[in-house]
Amino acid sequence: MEEYSLLGKRVPRIDGKAKASGQAKYASDLEKPGMLWGRTKRSPYPHARILNMDCSKAERLPGVKAIVTSKDPEFARFTWGFGLPGCPKDERPLAVDKVLFVGEPVAAVAAIDEEIAQEAVDLIDVEYEELPAVTDFERARDEGAPQLHEGFKNNVSYTFTMDYGDVEKAFRESDHIREDTFKTFRTRHGFIEPHCALAYWDDASGVLTLEASKQSPYFTYRLIAACFRLPLHKMRLIQPYIGGGFGGKNDCFALDYHACLLAKKTGKPVKIAYSLEESYSCCWRKHTMTIKMKTGVKKDGTLMGIDCHLLADGGAFSAIGPLTMYLSGAFMTIPYKLPNIRHEAVRVFTNYVTSVAMQGHGTDHTRHAAELQLDMIAEDLGIDPVDIRLRNAIPNSPYKTVNGIELATCGLTETIERAAEEIGWKEKKNEKKSGTIRRGVGFGCAGFQTGARLASRDASSATLRIHEDGTVSLNTGAQDAGQGSDTLMCQIVAEELGISVKEVQLNRIDTAHTPIDLCTAGSRVTFLAGHATRNAVLDVKRQLQEFGGKMWEANPEDIVFKDHQVYVEGSPDKGVPYRDFIRMACYGDEPMELLGRGYQAFNLPKVDIAHGSGKPCHNCSFATVAAEVEVDAETGKVKVIKTVASQDYGKVLNLLALEGQSDQQVSHAIGMALSEDIELKDGRILNPTLEKFRMPRASDVPMNITIPVETNDPYGPYGAKEGSESIQTAATPAIINAIHNATGVWIQELPATPDKILAALKAKRQGKVQVSLS
Amino acid sequence: MNGVLHELSVHPLKTLLEVLREDLRLTGTKESCGLGNCGACTVLVDGKPILSCLTLMAEVQDRDILTVEGLVQGDKLHPIQEAFVEHGAIQCGFCTAGFIMAGKALLDKNPNPSEDEVRKAIDGHMCRCTGYGKIVEAILAVPSKR
Repeated sequence: MEEYSLLGKRVPRIDGKAKASGQAKYASDLEKPGMLWGRTKRSPYPHARILNMDCSKAERLPGVKAIVTSKDPEFARFTWGFGLPGCPKDERPLAVDKVLFVGEPVAAVAAIDEEIAQEAVDLIDVEYEELPAVTDFERARDEGAPQLHEGFKNNVSYTFTMDYGDVEKAFRESDHIREDTFKTFRTRHGFIEPHCALAYWDDASGVLTLEASKQSPYFTYRLIAACFRLPLHKMRLIQPYIGGGFGGKNDCFALDYHACLLAKKTGKPVKIAYSLEESYSCCWRKHTMTIKMKTGVKKDGTLMGIDCHLLADGGAFSAIGPLTMYLSGAFMTIPYKLPNIRHEAVRVFTNYVTSVAMQGHGTDHTRHAAELQLDMIAEDLGIDPVDIRLRNAIPNSPYKTVNGIELATCGLTETIERAAEEIGWKEKKNEKKSGTIRRGVGFGCAGFQTGARLASRDASSATLRIHEDGTVSLNTGAQDAGQGSDTLMCQIVAEELGISVKEVQLNRIDTAHTPIDLCTAGSRVTFLAGHATRNAVLDVKRQLQEFGGKMWEANPEDIVFKDHQVYVEGSPDKGVPYRDFIRMACYGDEPMELLGRGYQAFNLPKVDIAHGSGKPCHNCSFATVAAEVEVDAETGKVKVIKTVASQDYGKVLNLLALEGQSDQQVSHAIGMALSEDIELKDGRILNPTLEKFRMPRASDVPMNITIPVETNDPYGPYGAKEGSESIQTAATPAIINAIHNATGVWIQELPATPDKILAALKAKRQGKVQVSLS
Repeated sequence: MNGVLHELSVHPLKTLLEVLREDLRLTGTKESCGLGNCGACTVLVDGKPILSCLTLMAEVQDRDILTVEGLVQGDKLHPIQEAFVEHGAIQCGFCTAGFIMAGKALLDKNPNPSEDEVRKAIDGHMCRCTGYGKIVEAILAVPSKR
């Protein structure tokens, strides 16, 4: 195999120094001369009609410069959304006639400071007629339930169904069938940088500039331009550093529109910084689902078919939610061989904040349920949980799932074996469980799409310029929200030119200069932007190879760039230093302008989200997580004491970054499995603060062990696959299965809080059929 | 402040975080929750880690304040900053300053802490990106760099 100088190495982040020294600027760190501050007036009701709004008192407050409401012509007709079939554009910058959740913006104010802006917000008088609200998603479809949106009968936002093979026949041929209900995830993205936007208009050029914390800036660039009817060259989005996203900063938010309009009205820069509590209580969350799953197997544990019906709490608007429904079904056919699948996913509107994509998007709900049920089946049949996974694992050879996902490689089997070995399963599986503190080990497996096939312009681009001293400026449209992709792009360029990462400068996204990219989502950045960056550097390298070929009268393809030397293959001693070579190219008889351009799209057929068919991705990563827990049978508390995450990365490109992603996913999973619990009551979120919404802290997370497996996938850049979503997807069921291994109880409703565990233990002691669902 | 005497006239009810970020434009110290639950705004006052979002200016008059910017000597990072970079303890970076200051306060008091002691010292801090493992590793690695 090819030996790389930089790829596969533990290369520290290129922005590490800027971030460690406090010099990296995030949106909230930015200021402009004469800048005004904006604040948002929000609905106190989950569902109400706006009867009247009186801004006169607020307007008279000294220091207030502008107030906008949905009556403003700029906003009156504007709506946005994801725009997929079935995803209506139903979000709006300000509520028009009805509010649909507590915290929905109804007006925005700009003033000379934040305090005055807030005072003005408090002085705005809004008269509402309160309406009955949909506060429990399981009752959203009830007859007589209040209706959120016209044209969406029974509050059904979207229904996705798929049916492959013959599930009924599969059940007839099964030796054992189980039917169980699971309730998943009551969580949110949990980034700790609140939303923030700074907007300003340049009178001379007419250009609107927005600097905001965006995970996928090109969505916002298009949407803001559409809202203000600007041609795209008059809309500029500059991306400061961003404090995490996890799917929660993908799109436009109300504050982006408000800042732009308030800046237009006042002729001044306007900054709006949400508090973290505002970001948590008024923005987005992950879907919560109730999943009824029926699975049939042969005596030996071979999966025959799955019939899955789920209901998802979508919140107030559509957003990307219909795609979540598709993903909850389409990826049920990995990581195990599953010949028959029927799936129905129903998303309903409720009067809460909207549910959207979050790390593990859609896939993780049904995978969580299926992994728990697989352990239940293994126990019923007396099969080892590791053996049942090995029996069903998709093999590492070309494979096509029943719904058309084509895989060239699958390292699942090796990940199962290595995780089981590292956690010590052989020794631990027969340990007796008794006493107060009980230890248990559990497993979860998952597959995750790399480079999701998305609608719209599914491509990435990169451009680069080699300066005459050999250093490189690189532009991509790919956003690094913290995951480390910027470093990887620089590694790719440096690898191909035989230079160091420090000699490559990656420019952060500025839509006026950087090439367009779809988004940082669907585990696509390394995959598509990685390919595009490689293509860009290979483009300029080809130009240099031709120059070298002429100079040395050699075949251009034989010109090698390695360790800061350029030479003809086989004659490293006759080469010249890289810098000299570049100087020769730039100052020869025909001075070269060293520009590289790279692009990557795969032109896969569009996915049919109405039926779940088509090729939704280019390759899939596979992971196994083994978790060991301690359950205190007296308090119901669970502590995760060891985790092993083994993933098929295709090819490891930066182990330091991948370990970081692995640790992060395990940490998220610990929170999602054990403590993260958005409390919804009567249309309100009761715990929007870090104090009450418990995300894992350092004392909750063990040192995670990451074990990479490589399969060198033919479609990935240098053979690579995604590294940020399959471990989390595998980890939540691993933890719940470990609790069962320790105690014998199944916690079918997340999170597995002490009260649920104690209730289940009590029911077990009393010999009752366990009911752990509320 | 970071070894420099500042004479400022500010409202005594302004928080230290507000003065750092707005009056002195030292934006390396971040505001996340603003309620004392996340640790992102941690700075050292007379060597002790405090939450600057909950500290009023009146409380820090004539005190020695150290922020993440004050650890850098010229162009050179402090060993704990270097350790954070090399060990992959930084991802999005929004929480980083708080963790670095907490780690420094711990190491100044206890130059060779155990893993448990490190975890205890940073338990008031929230990081959503790293899963903490590499932050713990970085802090444990600092003594060997000195």
